[in-house]
Formats: sequence, structure tokens, C-alpha cells
Amino acid sequence: MMSNSLVDEREASTLYKHCCDIHKVPCVPDKLDDFIDTINAKLQLMFMQIRKGMSEVNGRQYYALVNMAETDITRMSSDYADNELELFRKTMDLIVSSENGKISSTDALNIADSLMTKRLKKSEAEQVLNRLVQDKWLNEKRGEFSLSTKCIIEMEPYIRRMYEDQVKLCHICHNIAFQSQICDSPTCGIKIHNPCVARYFKGRVEPRCPACDEFWPHEIPEVPRSISRR
Amino acid sequence: GKEKASQLFSEGAAFDPSAFAENLLSFMGLNRLEGGEHEPQNGGDGYLPSDAWDRLARRAETCFRTAPTFHYMLGSFHAEPPPPKQRIE
Amino acid sequence: SSQVQRGLARVSNAQVEQKAAEVVQYIMVKDQKKIPVRRADLVKHVIKDYRNIYPEIMKRVLQTFSQVFGLELVEIDTKAHVYILINKLEPHEALTTNQGSVNPKTGLLWVILSVIFMKRGAVKEGLIWNTLKKLRVDPGERHEVFGDVKKLVTDEFVRQRYLEYVRIPHTEPLECEFRWGQRAELEVSKPQILHFMGQLHEREPQSWSQQYRDAHPSLGAPGPSQPSRSQR
Ligand SMILES: [Zn+2]
Ligand SMILES: [Zn+2]
Repeated sequence: MMSNSLVDEREASTLYKHCCDIHKVPCVPDKLDDFIDTINAKLQLMFMQIRKGMSEVNGRQYYALVNMAETDITRMSSDYADNELELFRKTMDLIVSSENGKISSTDALNIADSLMTKRLKKSEAEQVLNRLVQDKWLNEKRGEFSLSTKCIIEMEPYIRRMYEDQVKLCHICHNIAFQSQICDSPTCGIKIHNPCVARYFKGRVEPRCPACDEFWPHEIPEVPRSISRR
Repeated sequence: GKEKASQLFSEGAAFDPSAFAENLLSFMGLNRLEGGEHEPQNGGDGYLPSDAWDRLARRAETCFRTAPTFHYMLGSFHAEPPPPKQRIE
Repeated sequence: SSQVQRGLARVSNAQVEQKAAEVVQYIMVKDQKKIPVRRADLVKHVIKDYRNIYPEIMKRVLQTFSQVFGLELVEIDTKAHVYILINKLEPHEALTTNQGSVNPKTGLLWVILSVIFMKRGAVKEGLIWNTLKKLRVDPGERHEVFGDVKKLVTDEFVRQRYLEYVRIPHTEPLECEFRWGQRAELEVSKPQILHFMGQLHEREPQSWSQQYRDAHPSLGAPGPSQPSRSQR
């Protein structure tokens, strides 16, 4: 879990089975979450946790080992410099306040001019953003940045706390929603994750908002194949 | 004479750094033929693919018992509230 | 000691537990860059007023690393009190070969450690630089993967304790040589190096009989008659 920042359900089950084999105990496939709870009881003392979350892109469940503490020690982390972290934080500000959970790379690069800590050249900012994608904190697709699954899983408590009045929960799965569709009705405005939209409206003749019953005006994405297979 | 010979024998094969480098280049996927559109890289003919060092690193990892490292984002910076949102009303 | 006993009497178990957890956290942060942890820094940044029960805290830290993470905290310098983290678990192919990212520096480091090992312990820096040049890595130029190669090799790898970079005495002009650092001695498997070396040269590892004996000290003097298959 430490070397792979994110594992999907299948990989997690493989790891669980591997642990059972090593210790020669019977492996009960649907006890994976119990097993993780046992590990978490130990990790909790070290301010760490294995947490589960859904990918906003493909709707699948993933597990990530995350940090839970914000202390002077955790701030000694050496992966990014202060101004690089500020760039990340401001990128997150923009993504959270955007309607569909994405921002253009131009908008992200423009942040470089407004850094308080130490300014970054455009080319440096571009490198930092690339590193953030490589380290799986951001996703990049067709010139747009969004928050990665790992980032959302780890940062969720922070995001809920800091962006209290901006962040919305998905009407279907009740987790925070960024890459999603919004109900057009001004009195409603609920959000639904794209994969949750696909699952919820699948097979319905006329899509209507599950909250206000108005017509759902967006294009309904296809259910990602990895889910429909089950 | 005799002593020297047995000493040589017990030393086994010698290590040849040049042969080592050549074999490594092959392992890393050196392309020795197509040189045309690419700048000749220092050190010799042919060019290495961009993932050459990753390829070697992946194989070399089996020689290391390195502790995995824990990387996180939460808690690496001071929490700071976002700028107040402009109201569009 | 009795001093520790007296110290322990004044703090609750929960406080010791909490300090131990902070030490674990601190060491894991430092380990992100594989820089060894010095006791002096540990005391200054984390232990602070609890220094009188340092041994008790460290006992729990070692326990946590071993039981929760499968890691071993090793004191590589008992005079200066410097620690590094080592993996206690054998690499498992089925679990590591998937997508997980790889650090290309490991490849460069492997090349250098291998040359030193095959040259039986110490190598003049010239040979290392020449070998790297053949691999299209020129220490005098910025490399697109490694950046400042000279700095990476003589500074970063040295600070991580993978390499020792020392002056050869009585040389004029000044000459330096490379040796394995303490971290390499603890982390890197010599039989595995020789095994990979054999694959590269399409040769039996035993054919380098001296290096084979260096890698398998338990085999004793007679040398390369035993099969190597059981070695990892
Ligand atoms: Zn949802
Ligand atoms: Zn609605």
C-alpha cells in the first residue's frame, strides 16, 4: 500500500489473499473490509489510515493509504517546496470552485503569477504541475486538470472543512462531487458524479432529477464497462 | 610461476567494465541502427529509448531491500482558507 | 536504567505512546528522501522534554516499525547515533511488478554499486565516470533524466549512505575513489547483483569466483561448487 499510492478493489483483494497465504490463515473474500479495519486500528496511532473512495472518472472503488494529521512534523515533508505547494493549493481552490471539477491548463499556469511565497516562471509551474500529475495528486486530460482519486480520498476532510460553502455532495452516493452534472433547476441545483449519473439513469426512458423531478438536460454518459461487467 | 598460475585460476573470470557497459546498453534497449533523425548521443552510435533507465531500474530493484516511502499531501502545508468567492447575483 | 525508570514514573503510558508515534512519523517523513536520521535532530524536533526516557520511546518505535510496517530501524553509526529504515520483507514479484512507479536513479545507482562490487570494494572515480559515459551519462553535462549527475552521485547518493566518496591518500593531483556506503551494505543483495550480472553477460555467476565468494561468505573458502539457486 505504501509503494502503490492507489490500489483498486481487485488489487486490494489480491493483497489480502497474499497476506492470508503467508500467514496460512483461510481467506474469506468478503472480509476484505474487516481486514482493513484491523490494519487501521494499528495505523490510527500513527495518524494513518487505509481509506476507500470512488474514482470520479470510471466509478470504480479504490483504496489509498492516507495521512490524517496536520502537524509541524508532517509539514517537514520534502516532496514539494513551499511555493510549489501554494501552486497546488491554489489549483485546488480553482478546481473546487469550478462547476465541473476541471480547470484549463492556462488557468492553472496563470496562478504562477500570484504566488505569495516565491514566484514561479511559467515553465517552472508547468514542471510542477507535471510532477503533481506524475505523483498522482492531479489528473490531466486534454489540457484540463482535475483532482485525482487519491487526492480526493486523502484531502476529503480538509476539503469539506476549508471549502464548506462551495463543495457539494453527490445526490446519489453522498460523497463530495467535482466531476459531475448539475441540475439546471435554480431552486434545486443538486450534483451527481458522472459515473453515478450513468448508473442512475441507465434504462430510464426520460431522465428526471431525482430531487426535484425536473427534466435532466445533460447528456447521459455510458456506464463504464468495468462496472457493468459485474 | 606455478604460484601465479594457481592464483590466477582462483581469481576466476575478470570483470571487464567495457563489456559490462555494452551489455547494459543492449539490456536498456539501445537502438544501434536508426541514427538518422536523432542527434548522436555522446559516447557512441545508436540512441537509448526514453524509458531506458526505467527499464534498468525496474530490474535493479530486485537487488534492493529498500523500505517503501510514504507520501502524502494532507498536512504538508498550512491550511489556508480559499479567497472569498465573488458573488454572481 | 534507573534514570529511565524515574522518568517513566512521571509520564503516562499514553504520553509515551504519543511520543513514539510522533517519532515514527518524523522518521517516515525523513525517509521520503532516504536521508538518515540523527538522534540529535530527533531529540530537538520531536522528543524534546522527553529525552530522559529516550530508550523506552525508541523501544516502542522499533516495535511499531517491525510489527506494523515490516520495517527495521537500524543504527548505522553507533557513535553519532544515525538511523536508517530497511525493508524486512523480501520483494514479492507478483505484488511489485504492476504499474507502480519506478525511480530511474535506482538504475544509475545499481550500475555504480555493481562496478564497485565487481572490482571488489573500491574503484577510482575515473572508472565510474567512464563507465557512465559509455551509458550516455556524462557527469560534465546536464542529463535529461538525472539532471546534475556529478551532484547526484557524489552528494545525494553519499548523503543517503549508498556510497562513500573518499580521497585516496598521497595522490597528487588529488584523486578520489568510491566504496559501498552503509546503507548499500544493509539494503543491497550481493548474490542478486551477481545473478543479474550473469544474465547480462550470459554467464554463470560462479564464473566470477572471487566475487561469488564475496557474495556468499557462508560458503567458505572452497568456493563455487554449491548451486546458487536457493539464494535470493
Ligand atoms: Zn456519486
Ligand atoms: Zn433538481
